[in-house]
Amino acid sequence: MPGNIKSVSFVVLVCLLLCSRLTSVGAAPICTNAQTGCHVLSLSNLFDRVIQHSARMHGISNDLHSEFEQYFLPSRNQVGRVSRNCHTSTILTPNGKENAQRMAREELTEVILKLLVAWRDPLWHFHHSMAHYDDFNNFSSNKALEMSDMVHELRKGVEKVAEKMQGLGITSNTVNSLTSPEALLPSKSAEWRQMKDYDLLYCFRRDSNKVQNYLKILKCRIVPEHGC
Amino acid sequence: SAPVEPHITECTSRNQETFRCWWSPGNFHNLSSPGTLRLFYLKKVMPTSEWKECPEYIYSNRECFFDMNHTSIWIPYCLQLRSQNLTYFNEDDCFTVENIVHPDPPVSLNWTLLEISPSGLSYDVMVNWEPPPSADVETGWMRIEYEIQYRERNSTNWEALEIQPQTQQTIYGLHIGEEYEVHIRCRMQAFTKFGEFSDSIFIQVTEIASKESTFPLTLVVLFGIVGILILIMLIVVSQQHRLMLILLPPVPAPKIKGIDPELLKKGKLDELNFILSGGGMGGLPTYAQDFYQAEPWVEFIEVEAEDADTGEKKDNQGTDTQRLLSQRISRHINIGFPDDDSGRSSCYNPDLPDQDTLMLMATLLPGQPEDREASFNAVERAPTPERGERPLVQTQTEGPQTWVNTDFYAQVSNVMPSGGVVLSPGQQLRIQESTLATEEKTQKREIKHKWSEDIEDNNQKELQFQLLVVDPEGSGYTTESIARQINTRPSSPVPGEGYQTIHPQPVETKPGATAEDNQSPYILPDSPQPQFFAPVADYTVVQEVDSQHSLLLNPPPRQSPPPCPPQHQLKAIPAMPVGYITPDLLGNLSP
Repeated sequence: MPGNIKSVSFVVLVCLLLCSRLTSVGAAPICTNAQTGCHVLSLSNLFDRVIQHSARMHGISNDLHSEFEQYFLPSRNQVGRVSRNCHTSTILTPNGKENAQRMAREELTEVILKLLVAWRDPLWHFHHSMAHYDDFNNFSSNKALEMSDMVHELRKGVEKVAEKMQGLGITSNTVNSLTSPEALLPSKSAEWRQMKDYDLLYCFRRDSNKVQNYLKILKCRIVPEHGC
Repeated sequence: SAPVEPHITECTSRNQETFRCWWSPGNFHNLSSPGTLRLFYLKKVMPTSEWKECPEYIYSNRECFFDMNHTSIWIPYCLQLRSQNLTYFNEDDCFTVENIVHPDPPVSLNWTLLEISPSGLSYDVMVNWEPPPSADVETGWMRIEYEIQYRERNSTNWEALEIQPQTQQTIYGLHIGEEYEVHIRCRMQAFTKFGEFSDSIFIQVTEIASKESTFPLTLVVLFGIVGILILIMLIVVSQQHRLMLILLPPVPAPKIKGIDPELLKKGKLDELNFILSGGGMGGLPTYAQDFYQAEPWVEFIEVEAEDADTGEKKDNQGTDTQRLLSQRISRHINIGFPDDDSGRSSCYNPDLPDQDTLMLMATLLPGQPEDREASFNAVERAPTPERGERPLVQTQTEGPQTWVNTDFYAQVSNVMPSGGVVLSPGQQLRIQESTLATEEKTQKREIKHKWSEDIEDNNQKELQFQLLVVDPEGSGYTTESIARQINTRPSSPVPGEGYQTIHPQPVETKPGATAEDNQSPYILPDSPQPQFFAPVADYTVVQEVDSQHSLLLNPPPRQSPPPCPPQHQLKAIPAMPVGYITPDLLGNLSP
């Protein structure tokens, strides 16, 4: 009997330890950077990740755009022919540094999200239409797929950042940022279907640069850093 | 040349917040004065877009400056020049500002020495700088990447390092004593347009005279080698056997199982023969067990000792062959191969028809009958079995046999009609004619078997082994009479191969009644061969060839004059080589 009691007590102890661990996992403690043992990312880290992501997305879009130019459009400057409008032209975006800095954080976040949402379908469609181009090698096709994925992930990341900002009280609790993505789509969202592939690439290259710059400005405003 | 109309030469932005454009009047010099050409721009902003004039003119440079209020990023601008009544517009002059950014060059370029290579010939340098002050990199409005280029002072090609966004970079592999020129430029990430180069800086590191680091290394190596050599010499001199075995392993000496290796040294052949003949020790196998049991790697020449009771071994003197073939030793010279594969692959070819060769060898030698019986049992494969063989063989069991003065090669003494060959030993063996005959027969049988097999195998091709006819008396080689037979013999199908078979017609001519008259291949043991005991030299020398190309052999003096027809005239043929007749020479002996 003493052996049984010992084994039972041992099992009980182990169980208590495990159970305590299990119960602690479910909670998501809110902690600042200073706390040790806290695995929640800080806002600064989140911003850095998102900015890195957007930089990469912009780089890929630039590569694809220049490849397209090389293959299909020999003339040097196509800017003059940008009489077409990108389907995201209806989205009001700050067109300069000062404008972006003067914009409210919530608005800026919303602009970013709008842009990202607007490109989800066109990029997915573009990736599938790449198969028709025999001149494009598989490498470019992979880039298109990667681009399409990145838009999706970046949007999720920015949503998380917005969520965190709201949680930290940095931004006011506006409902607009968290409405369904369809509400963020521009009114003429179907225009993109009529755009040619090259125009699509040109527009996306521009918009990804916008997103990248906006994110940088947003971070500089929210997370105080040297020089901001 | 075509008239060059007024046009916009360049538009550029330094900080992505402002930009400026320059124009040129072209060949239209009347428009070169300020104010005659006006610049208008269009921002393609929805919904309305209209042409506006340049916000700020700098006429001295023919420049138009757009400040921050008039600069919009990501929006296409188009420019046009207007004179009083004409508008010059080119669609290529449309752009977006982020695409025309050429950042200013970085500032504060300087370098520090990182390290010098151990050889003292090259060094590494860390270069660092500051981003251009006009670029707003702190807020991240502009993300810049840098490119360093360097070259030797008197060279014309610039080396470009990898473009990267940090504000420092290492240049590797610069040479001591050379002067280098370094400059830097930058551009926006994911864009293509570089800004201007910065001012150059110069890097030079003079030679440092310090070779002490290599000196002790060479000394150490030298002393190490000398030490090792001395050690080896000491080991060799001191004759430390263990160490010497390690350093200089000995060459394995020849060994025969059961025999003291001392005897195998030079000059001890008598003792070796004594042992080999089994003298005094009751046979070799016991001897063998004592020695070299622990050395399986030694490959032995196993000599089986049988019939140790018969004497007469002392007669075997004179030739090495006799010693080896003395009665003490069975004719089976087995190259004893132990079952383990010690050295087997090197010496022994298992693909050889060992059975055949061994049997052939055994029967070619004047061997003991019991061995031949065993050998015949092995060879008995021909479809034409000679049944009576064995009983005839067994008649040979008796009688001591001294195969003295028997050389290793036997002589063909007779050729049977069926194509077999009778071999006979040398001259002194006339005494043993009975056994000899049987032996011949068995030998012949052996050969015949061998050849019949061959013949059957080759389907009666021209590989018909044909031998010279031999003196049926047993003398080794053709005498004159036989030579005459060669001449008078009707032509047989001579394929040109070697030898001719000549049926031993000389039943009439020869006094000896050998068994040629009966077609059976048997030779009766009691043939009157013993009459011809005259010792015949083992080898006969062809001395002359007569006019009919008969071979004239120089008979040895002991031989009784053969009762043969009177000889023909002998015509000495000059310049015949003294020696044996060879097949090609035999071809000349056509009748």
